[in-house]
Amino acid sequence: MKSISLYVDRESFVHDVDPITKLIYILFAILVPIILPSFTVSFICVGISLLLILAAGVFRKTLPIFGFVFLVLITVVIIQGLFRPENETVLFQIGPFAMYQEGLHYALKITLRVVNIVGAFMILVLTTKPSHLVESLVRKGMSPRIGYVIVSVFQIIPEMMASMSTITDAQRSRGMETEGNLLVRIKAFLPLLGPVVLGSLINTKERAMALEVRGFNSRTPKTYLNVEKTYAYSKGIQALLLLLIVGAVAWRIFL
Amino acid sequence: MNKKSMWSFRFSTAALVLIPVAVGVNYIGKFIAGVLKLPLWLDSIGTVLAAMLGGPVVGALAGAINNIIYGLTVDPISFVYGITSVAIGLAVGILFYKGYISTFGKAIVAGLIIGLVATIVSTPINIGFWGGQTGNVWGDALFAAVLAKTDSVWLASFLDEIVVDVPDKLLVVLISFGIFKGLPRNVVQLYNNNDKVETLD
Repeated sequence: MKSISLYVDRESFVHDVDPITKLIYILFAILVPIILPSFTVSFICVGISLLLILAAGVFRKTLPIFGFVFLVLITVVIIQGLFRPENETVLFQIGPFAMYQEGLHYALKITLRVVNIVGAFMILVLTTKPSHLVESLVRKGMSPRIGYVIVSVFQIIPEMMASMSTITDAQRSRGMETEGNLLVRIKAFLPLLGPVVLGSLINTKERAMALEVRGFNSRTPKTYLNVEKTYAYSKGIQALLLLLIVGAVAWRIFL
Repeated sequence: MNKKSMWSFRFSTAALVLIPVAVGVNYIGKFIAGVLKLPLWLDSIGTVLAAMLGGPVVGALAGAINNIIYGLTVDPISFVYGITSVAIGLAVGILFYKGYISTFGKAIVAGLIIGLVATIVSTPINIGFWGGQTGNVWGDALFAAVLAKTDSVWLASFLDEIVVDVPDKLLVVLISFGIFKGLPRNVVQLYNNNDKVETLD
């Protein structure tokens, strides 16, 4: 079964850093440009994220996601450039339409913000195994039951996709059409979705029983399958990131 | 059902295993909508079903975990929209508990309300994150038109979201209610935590 996670298995120092540090980095990358709203700061944050993505060797995997994001951002640039209410200074003309400086300035701000946030999350998502992330969070005090719920999603979705394709074949062989005009396609939605959903909901009963008999609700402390991996510099990096956030706040207040 | 049971926070195992299935159903719904090239998202059927079966707390949790999983697997932007999913889960859970989703007629009204809730929660996120757009072609075309006419980003963004969200949530609630009606009683009973057969222990 195909894994649905975006995780890329590589060897790099970014992969070795523990997930909690990466979460703190996301916090850093989102907060600092909000505290210090200048283009320079945003560019620096985007730059750091891009460098880390390159260092982790996962740049190619980010392209489809950035591709989708840029598609939306292009419409943001066009719409804000043409129609932003504060628009006054005409920058240039395209046929009958005038692009305004204020709108483009605002669009650049949005673009930087989105690329920054997406980039920071991408470091976590592409270089961390979901189960590893959940395990670290459980060690930090998250309920192991919630941890189970999150990890089991990664198992259930491929299972459901597999039964989905069986059902699609079955319905097609009975003559259901999946291509054609909108009405035909809408009509195909329920016969495809219904059996998968009903089947999976009925399965929950057995899954619940299987978990119960294995002591899912037991109150004794849980043990871990894997030994905790520690990265030598993570305490230092975490302290540095938090210090930088505090420093940014101080900079904003005092300068 | 009494009022205490709506917000009961002690998750039974059955309610917990419902959440991954709900996320899976959301995923499949979005996938099929994509394969059939439907112009709607249809990606919250699982959240709605979880809220109907397990109540507002389970619905909200399913919504939150759904967006975390989407963020980790499909696109990181969905982390931001987690709040909308939580609101949908809560709204469906409360409406269903109060008996406002008990026939198809009522489900239509409930669908409209839930669409409105989703719009109200999403609009500030859209403005903060994208400058007001949703990324849906039809909605964004309307956004541009309204922005050109009225100079109000909030109005444009609200209309942008509402034309996409209300039909989507209406259909989602109707489909979910249809599925809910088709569920075997012993599955529904598993989540019915007002009487003695609530857990398996």
